[in-house]
Amino acid sequence: MYQEIEKLLEKYYEGETTLQEEKYIKEFFSKAEVPTHLQHHIAEFAYYRHAAKETPSKNLNEVLLSKIEKKGRIIQFRTVSLRIAAGLALLIGGFAVGYAYNNRGGEITIIESKPETVMKQSLQFEQVSLKSASERIEAVNQSLKLKALDQDLTQLLINTLNFDDNVNVRLAAAQALARFEDEPLVREGLIQSLKIQTDPNIQITLIELLVMMKEKRASQTLEQLSQDGNVMDVVRMKAQEGAAQLITL
Amino acid sequence: MDLKVFTQSVLQHQSRLFRVAKLFLKNTEEAEDTVQEIFLKLWDKRQQLGAYNSVEALAVQMTKNLCLDKLKSHDYNYTSTGLETIEVNANTYTPHEQTELADSNDLLKKIIDDLPELQKTILHLRDVEEYSFEEIEQITGQTINNIRVILSRARKSVRDSYLKTNNYVSGN
Repeated sequence: MYQEIEKLLEKYYEGETTLQEEKYIKEFFSKAEVPTHLQHHIAEFAYYRHAAKETPSKNLNEVLLSKIEKKGRIIQFRTVSLRIAAGLALLIGGFAVGYAYNNRGGEITIIESKPETVMKQSLQFEQVSLKSASERIEAVNQSLKLKALDQDLTQLLINTLNFDDNVNVRLAAAQALARFEDEPLVREGLIQSLKIQTDPNIQITLIELLVMMKEKRASQTLEQLSQDGNVMDVVRMKAQEGAAQLITL
Repeated sequence: MDLKVFTQSVLQHQSRLFRVAKLFLKNTEEAEDTVQEIFLKLWDKRQQLGAYNSVEALAVQMTKNLCLDKLKSHDYNYTSTGLETIEVNANTYTPHEQTELADSNDLLKKIIDDLPELQKTILHLRDVEEYSFEEIEQITGQTINNIRVILSRARKSVRDSYLKTNNYVSGN
């Protein structure tokens, strides 16, 4: 009658039973009517059934979930703070680069803010051939930043006016010098320059400037110019006109 | 793997992991802490969990290893939780029998505790957790044949130790 269960038990102790058979064995020994000669097996299978029912305290799940969520938040927070840190680093880096750049730029500005230096560098005779016309005009225009011209610079501009190869540079020099019309050296320079200039554009500009400055000393030069046969008619007319204006002052 | 999937695929095994942990640590609180540690570890590597055949087997394996590590560490000195009230179906047994069974449960617990580690693990995984041999293979890394041999040894050992201590039962 109990041959089946006895056989199963034998298999069980050899590790040969299936899960199904083991379930059957456990079931069998959990019932009240276990034959006497098999009762000593009850405790074993009761123990396994009992042990399988043991569970952690019920709040373990909650604790776990809250820990995981907390962890998630920490990670999130960590990434957020990382992002902020990275942003700050970029910002500071940007400022640092900007600061460094500005400093470097500042040095350039300092050089540029010394128009005298630029002018001398570009307009001195030995430099002229190395610089382009536009660079020389730029250098001449540096004088716009100056409130006064020292003797060196005045001479430099006059030299440029008289000897620069490029008409436009010479014109720029004339205009630059006109700003300092109060300087005797400038006035003298312009008058002397008019005597040697051959380009009609420069001649007319100089005539206009001298008339505007009401430089009476130029009247003689103007008259000479108006009678010079090598000079263009339009320049001669302008010189005559200017001379007349200066004389009537 | 988001929290929902993680809960469904991993957290549902917490009772099993808890029992495995307690099998080694013999202390309820420490076992619960261990399970939490395991879950947090699994949560950290949740992106890689898809690569495993059975997350459950992985979790059990990790739990077992963590417990053994804890036992090896010198400062591990947790005392067992002691005797616990044992639920036995009251309809089937008389109070006297219940007491007797409670006593035998404690005795069996002790007998199983005293088994060598591998025997204890495999016996627990099979007879308490009712894992298939394939699952036990994944968890322990033993071949199925080996598992059968070890299991047989463990079952016989439990039976014999129990009978030896409770000689009178067989005499009844």
